[in-house]
Amino acid sequence: MGGRIPTRGSRRGQRARGQRARGQRAGGGGQRARGAEGPGAEVAGPAPRGTGAGRARRSRGGGTQEGLGGGELGVEEPATAAVARAMSARNLGTELDLSWISKIQVNQPAVLRRAEQIQARRMVKKEWQAAWLLKAVTFIDLTTLSGDDTSSNVQRLCYKAKYPIREDLLKALNVHDKGLTTAAVCVYPARVCDAVKALKAAGSTIPVASVATGFPAGQTHLKTRLEEIRLAVEDGATEIDVVINRTLVLTGQWEGSDFIKTSTGKETVNATFPVAIVMLRAIRDFFWKTGNKIGFKPAGGIRSAKDSLAWLSLIKEELGDEWLTPELFRIGASTLLSDIERQIYHHVTGRYAAYHDLPMS
Amino acid sequence: MRIGVIGLILSPTFSFLEMMWRICPALAVGCTVVVLVPPGSPTPLLLAQLAGELGSFPGILNVINGPASLGPILASQPGVQKVTFCGAVEEGRVLRRTLAGQGAELGLALGAESLLVLTEAADVDSAVEGVVDAAWSDRSAGGLRLLIQESVWDETMRRLQERMARLRGGRGLDGAVDMGARGAAAHDLAQRYVREAQSQGAQVFQAGDVPSVSPFFPPTLVSDLPPASPCTQAEVPWPVVVASPFRTAKEALAVANGTPRGGSASVWSERLGQALELGYGLRVGTVWINAHGLRHPEVPTGGCKESGSSWHGGPDGLYEYLRPSGTPARLPSLSENLNYDTFGLAVPLTLPSGPEIGPSPAAPYGLFIGGRFQAPGARSSRCIQDSKGNLQAYVAEGGAKDIRGAVEAAHQAAPGWVSQPPGARASLLWALASALERRESAFTSALERHGVELKTAKVEVELSARRLRAWGARAQAQGHLLQVAELRGPVLRLREPLGVLAIVCPDEWPLLAFASLLAAALAHGNAVVLVPSGVCPIPALEVCQDMATLLPAGLVNVVTGDRDHLTRCLALHQDVQALWYFGSAQGSQFVEWASAGNLKPVWVNRGRPRAWDQEAQGAGPELGLRAARTKALWLPMGD
Repeated sequence: MGGRIPTRGSRRGQRARGQRARGQRAGGGGQRARGAEGPGAEVAGPAPRGTGAGRARRSRGGGTQEGLGGGELGVEEPATAAVARAMSARNLGTELDLSWISKIQVNQPAVLRRAEQIQARRMVKKEWQAAWLLKAVTFIDLTTLSGDDTSSNVQRLCYKAKYPIREDLLKALNVHDKGLTTAAVCVYPARVCDAVKALKAAGSTIPVASVATGFPAGQTHLKTRLEEIRLAVEDGATEIDVVINRTLVLTGQWEGSDFIKTSTGKETVNATFPVAIVMLRAIRDFFWKTGNKIGFKPAGGIRSAKDSLAWLSLIKEELGDEWLTPELFRIGASTLLSDIERQIYHHVTGRYAAYHDLPMS
Repeated sequence: MRIGVIGLILSPTFSFLEMMWRICPALAVGCTVVVLVPPGSPTPLLLAQLAGELGSFPGILNVINGPASLGPILASQPGVQKVTFCGAVEEGRVLRRTLAGQGAELGLALGAESLLVLTEAADVDSAVEGVVDAAWSDRSAGGLRLLIQESVWDETMRRLQERMARLRGGRGLDGAVDMGARGAAAHDLAQRYVREAQSQGAQVFQAGDVPSVSPFFPPTLVSDLPPASPCTQAEVPWPVVVASPFRTAKEALAVANGTPRGGSASVWSERLGQALELGYGLRVGTVWINAHGLRHPEVPTGGCKESGSSWHGGPDGLYEYLRPSGTPARLPSLSENLNYDTFGLAVPLTLPSGPEIGPSPAAPYGLFIGGRFQAPGARSSRCIQDSKGNLQAYVAEGGAKDIRGAVEAAHQAAPGWVSQPPGARASLLWALASALERRESAFTSALERHGVELKTAKVEVELSARRLRAWGARAQAQGHLLQVAELRGPVLRLREPLGVLAIVCPDEWPLLAFASLLAAALAHGNAVVLVPSGVCPIPALEVCQDMATLLPAGLVNVVTGDRDHLTRCLALHQDVQALWYFGSAQGSQFVEWASAGNLKPVWVNRGRPRAWDQEAQGAGPELGLRAARTKALWLPMGD
């Protein structure tokens, strides 16, 4: 699991970012109830060590782990005090209260049954399905995290992020003027420069997210992990997916965050519905108790358009429409977008597309 | 062996699945079925057409579309051996009364309300999903009574209300809705219930995206209903949930068992001990632990109390359509002019026919109630004559007050007896058998005086003792494990005692029948009230002498007197859980009619004597099946 950290420094004039304040200010640690074990688990955290406003905070984490905590990090600059204030409104956090966690009960068979139900019910068809699919596109963090990433495939990815669906299909659905893009582009730290350059060339304001802190295993020194984040931010990344230190988690030293993610996406079992249900219920509990809204990102294994619709309806059922915005919900995926595009193609033309009909990503 | 022709009467809101659950086992054991469905449902007709096309066996499944008034006509057709009725409680009662004395046996599956107990140690979010499944979906049978532990009351109500806001209602076949509609009648019923609850001071919360026209009714949550209001006792209609708080698990049991319904319930608690305690304590037919609404054809589903005692699924479902081999088919014994209001009301005077001749008999026997002999309330006795017409003894004339006392005493002794381990019950029954054998000569002479041959009398006494021992040995039956496919975890089929069992013993084989029935009832954990044979009660009363010293007080109560009068008192008693009647045909009809009061399961002989000395009829599995009721306990597992 990872947490998402916006970097205060690099603004790049993105209007979205100002509103998407996701920083954590002094003293606040996110806190959340513990959910199921396994690939998805959430994080609850005590306040990170940081001090008051205006100070850089260290993230405690850096490990890898499926489903555990996120770290948080804020980097402050005097010039962006206004932004910082907006960000701090987001999750002030609370004191760690472990008794809260120990009172939680989760009944696994019941959660499994609910997970089955979510996938079986709520069939959306025809134009409503097309609308939901387009909405799903706006939640995607288009990701490429392979060993052989170079500037060329990153560039192609960024272009695809700006133009996720073929123009004529959008015209047919009459949404070509809505500026439909994916939520972000997610790459390794070394590729952040390329991504930023490509997006700038395309004239897009899509944020670039970077995985950091020794992704995916996280078994590196704290010093290098922090340095990674700093460099990524300098290169222009505006969101960071942090992998937390499993060691610390298992010894009960929690951290807080703004987003919780089911796993790094590189594990054998990644985003499954039962785990997600427990995490979402925890997010809702936290919101009821503290008034802070924490985001959710399932990643790994979401390949088909049908799956993405099930995820959307899960969020809608458990948390409500408020969470169906890119500020609070992301889907980490790479091949999902092409499946969605195929479905849209089928809806518009009534035919099944061949591989070469749709642009590569 | 199979029964024969089965009639099935379905309620206006029946579901196709319910119908199939009942038709399939019937066909599987070899019965043929006639189904009466309300008009306007074409699907069963289609099914019957398909059945008809099977070729070699036309007519195994027949479907009639018609109003409910055809029900009694169907039941009174000659050849129909059993009628199963699924529907509302009141209609079931009416049917029970109309069918008293008819040839067909009646099985009732009534009411659709279920219960959900939410303790503080539960996963509240999952329990809320359970509530949605139980009451606000198309899978739910009826309304829900929700018991929430006080400490989690606010949390639960908040989550319930949030969840209700996300439900969608609409036309049933639309894939994006959670609940459809069940007709204007169901809508009106729910509307009336909610209005009445409001007028009695309850809080009503409705939410969800549901069209506001009839027949759509939004999900409804009723809370703060005063316990004394009529709505608390009435059945909760779909899609209403009535929530009430409780403080401890004991209180939860008391509140939960405090309604006449006994269909199904679920217990939500992550503490195993607490969950099992509640599961065993609830008086219902099916209990789910941390789940709701799970069903499977292998698991028996049925109810107790006023939910009727008809079962489907599992071995119990098959036994519905079978009768022991060797027993004859039921014939109607309807007497048209039986006056239910006056049957057994007055006790006819029994004056001795002539002057007393012979030695003065011993002091009159009293009534054996509460572990000792006591004088009857009416302070009168009746004389018992032997086969030559001479006075043999005086026995007490029991009346309504005595029956009341006997039933009370039985209820007091019942919990203690239930908690006895099977070994203890077995040893007590064996001790009783030994006492019987020790006083064999006394019993033989008492029987001889009634014209029974010496040899037969000896056999009778010996068999009685043997039956007591045999049933004692069978007292182990606690239930067994069912393996259900697709479920991780066990399902237990428990056999629980009925409670207080009233038995009116036959005149044939006075001692043997008495002992056989008593043994079967006791071995399964029941407390009994017996009315021994009117002609020859002495052997039974002699057994009481031994029971006074061996058995706990109040466990067995024997009341002598006018059989019809005592039968009337027992049949109309609301707190007797079951009644076995082996008397006259008229009495059988009355018993069936009167059982509609609290819908107790009855077993009558229609005036036909049974061969108690034969194993099949005197000690067969039928007694064991009738002496206890089944409960299915579901334990899905996983962490």
